[in-house]
Amino acid sequence: MSSFSFLNPGFLWALPLASIPILIHLLSKRRLPEIRFPTIMFLRALEPREIRRIRLRELLLLVLRTLALILIICGFARPSVEPKGATTRAAAAVAVILDDSESMGALDEVARPRIEGARERGLAIVDAARAGDEVAITTTTGPDAPLANRSGDRVRLERTVRQIGTRWLPGAMEQALERARRFLGRSALKARELYVIGDFQATNFTPAARAKVALISRSGNRVYLLPVVASRVPNHAIEDLDPELRPGPQGKGLEMRARLVNHADAPTDRLAVRARRGDALIGGGDVSLLADEARWASLPIDWRAGEAAAVAVDSKGKAPVVVESDVDALSGDDRRYAVLGAPRRLRVLRIVESRGGVPPPRFVALALDPAQDGSGGYAVETGTPASLLGINHGRYDVVILEDIASLSGDAETRLRSFLREGGGIVVALGPHADLDYYGRKLFPGMIDLAVDGTERAAEGQSFEIRARAPAHPILDGLSLTVGSPLTQSKLTALARGRTTTPRAEAVVATTGGLPVIVAAPQVAVFLGSLSDDWGDLPYSGAFVPLVRGLVDHAARTSSPGSLEKALVGRPPATYLDVSPSGAVAVRGPESYRSQATVVAEGSGFRAVADAPAVVPGFYVFESGAREVATVAVNPDPIESDLKPIPIDSLATGSGSAPRALLTTSSLRSHLRDTRQGRELWLLFLLGATACLAAELVVGTARITAPAARVPAP
Amino acid sequence: MAQTSQRLLDPHFVSKLARLDLRARLVVDGFLTGLHKSPYHGFSVEFAEHRQYMPGDPLRHLDWKVLAKSDRKYLKQYEEETNLRATLLLDTSASMSYSSHGLSKLDYARQLAASLAYLMLRQNDAVGMFAFASGRGELIPPRSTPSHLRQLLVLLDRLEAAGGTDFASSLHALAERVKQRGLVVILSDLLDDPERIAGAIHHFRHRKHEVLVFHVLDPQEITFQFEREATYIDLESGDRVTTRPQELGEDYRTRVRGWMDRIRQFCVEKQADYVSVTTDTPYDRALLEYLSKRARLL
Repeated sequence: MSSFSFLNPGFLWALPLASIPILIHLLSKRRLPEIRFPTIMFLRALEPREIRRIRLRELLLLVLRTLALILIICGFARPSVEPKGATTRAAAAVAVILDDSESMGALDEVARPRIEGARERGLAIVDAARAGDEVAITTTTGPDAPLANRSGDRVRLERTVRQIGTRWLPGAMEQALERARRFLGRSALKARELYVIGDFQATNFTPAARAKVALISRSGNRVYLLPVVASRVPNHAIEDLDPELRPGPQGKGLEMRARLVNHADAPTDRLAVRARRGDALIGGGDVSLLADEARWASLPIDWRAGEAAAVAVDSKGKAPVVVESDVDALSGDDRRYAVLGAPRRLRVLRIVESRGGVPPPRFVALALDPAQDGSGGYAVETGTPASLLGINHGRYDVVILEDIASLSGDAETRLRSFLREGGGIVVALGPHADLDYYGRKLFPGMIDLAVDGTERAAEGQSFEIRARAPAHPILDGLSLTVGSPLTQSKLTALARGRTTTPRAEAVVATTGGLPVIVAAPQVAVFLGSLSDDWGDLPYSGAFVPLVRGLVDHAARTSSPGSLEKALVGRPPATYLDVSPSGAVAVRGPESYRSQATVVAEGSGFRAVADAPAVVPGFYVFESGAREVATVAVNPDPIESDLKPIPIDSLATGSGSAPRALLTTSSLRSHLRDTRQGRELWLLFLLGATACLAAELVVGTARITAPAARVPAP
Repeated sequence: MAQTSQRLLDPHFVSKLARLDLRARLVVDGFLTGLHKSPYHGFSVEFAEHRQYMPGDPLRHLDWKVLAKSDRKYLKQYEEETNLRATLLLDTSASMSYSSHGLSKLDYARQLAASLAYLMLRQNDAVGMFAFASGRGELIPPRSTPSHLRQLLVLLDRLEAAGGTDFASSLHALAERVKQRGLVVILSDLLDDPERIAGAIHHFRHRKHEVLVFHVLDPQEITFQFEREATYIDLESGDRVTTRPQELGEDYRTRVRGWMDRIRQFCVEKQADYVSVTTDTPYDRALLEYLSKRARLL
């Protein structure tokens, strides 16, 4: 049941002013001049009808004027009615979740950062807080550190809301909702409300988060959803960068690979992508993307163009590079940082065995370095199993075991040590390999692959092999999709193997399911011969890219930079080849300063900053006055898709379903209604205006008597 | 000269003069001065003097002998004979005291009556006067002696507006008393029942009198242009009406015009001359009306 009240009842003291028209009327009647006049009879002839009409009109004018004054005074007294469900008479526990994730920095429909709209709504809620209310404010990027908890101090709350800005972090909506649920659950107040302010990005509203909203709503809390945007805003992003530069087409020049994504329902225009090394533009290109397309784009790079820039190249020939595209709704994901370098020439040691005085086949050596001068990016040396005793990661990047029967204990130990140092191993089995040795001795601890014999194709038949892993780097040089044949060459026999854990991935397999290539970090195993013993693979066009893919995989995954991607919100980390001379400090953008903890790892050292990165950019590890490493830190690309969930999908439900308040004005109106009651001052002032307008009309209208017979005086 | 004569005919100017006889003389002299081309200027049967012919003068008064002897055109002017008996009926009811701008209807009627009397006596007409109000009246029978003017002016001087208008009764009584037919000049605001007024005029007409009605009103009585709401008190009955003039003004004016038209219509029907004058109307209009009437009668 709604009740009527005044929010500024002090104005009601002015109500006696409404009697002014009555007083004026009475006074004017009292002080009427008296005029002696001879022809009163003509007036008296009019009086019975017209005078009555005039008096009626005077009365009407008096009522209108008085009513107008009453309405104006009451309007100033802010009349209001309390609608059903209002919390006007009771304090309320109010939980506010304000999304401050990276996507809130995107522009809304009026080219204003979304966070401003969110702050505006937050301030409106805080502004409506009353004494006794318990207000908690939580952000989605820091749900575990609420900005305000059970506070009723409006000034402090307002300051808190004003200080909220977007962070380069993804929103943890589920955790924020859980936090709000716990807050509301602990409150002893009966009226409990949750306001969720944000862009309702689909990537933030996981099924678990949606379930949490429903749970809070069902628990007797009123849930209000305050989206700051209504629809998906097109946005493209640079999602990832390949840390390795690659040789350009036909081996000329270099190219960089950038993964671009278009989060839109329509294709992009031509996007200009530029790569800068310091202030120097070193490359770039134009890219067009289809609707919701994500793909790697190759961009030509002139690496030397950046040498004049004041950006130093580190000991591995790498330098900080910034890749940018045209800026759109969310500018943060149109720039990506990377530490890139010219491709390394991989140092490869082939381990072969001579049998019967016949030199081992050189298919692999030719595939990697056809000119035998290292121009193909690989410096290949050939050795015997005994050569393994002297290897270390500083000398070779990858070791290839080509159909080696078995290894001596010392060689095997040294090989495992090489692996721990970060080296890569490629194993090719063949007719001479002791599969039992590999399966039982060498592979355990190196790759989860069991080998138990040789599988031969039926007489006159061959194995058909197909790609299994989508876009696996081993198959990079081949245009393949999952399930497509790898090669038309005939393989007549294979080692029969089986992966024992998911860590070992079958990249290529036969149609019968036998794994052909199995990959694990730092290790790749070809379960066939890289010679022509078990087929004619070395003569097929797939052989060269396949061998290079195996070596590249082993080398890439073994590189010291293979730490997990550095993202904002995590401490920057790097791998150091040598022990730093002293304490390691990290400096980064926006006055970032931190110490780093260094621990030995493999043959090198892992340095991790103590403080998380707060903004994207380059973070430099320094030991003494010397820069020892540079790490590129980027935001999580999960925030790039600016697609909101349909609010209705949250707002529907049984019982007290969450209610969507789409605009700030509707929020203010809701808050007014629920906190103060529905204000009627506008209605009252409109009524007063109507009264005054009516008074004007009635007052200016002349009362005309109908043409009547002229009575005798 | 013409401007001076015009001023002498302005009621407001004349009202500033103290003595009524002086006022009457000024009005009439001023009126006659302005009427030098008028065919009504004193022509009678007994020769009085010559004056120079002016274009427009009737040729029948041209002195042909003088023209033959001196080849100059002179008109012969005559002393007019007394052949008209006129009675001025002056309404002195309370309503005649109303004045919206300083000159009351009674003052105006008084001045007009004095001027007419002076003019009439100058033309050797016999002038009488009957001042009447409700239930009372004072009659001075018509005479043409010059000393009679003084008697009339004394009466006019002491008239005061009082009482109601019993117009018809007074006039019927007078009609019975005035035996010899003549001209009856009524000066009144005629605030009475038009039917009764018509009856009284008819009575005079029945007695073969010529009737000239000067309907004297204040301009405000016709226009009713008051500014603000007021209580209006009837001068005669004391009735009170509180109203807003700006709202009733148009209806009032419509009714007053209808009332005046009705009186005019009655007068036409009774073959009486009707002249509506307001207290700001120059006196020459009334005097002209009188002379016009006199010319028709003679």
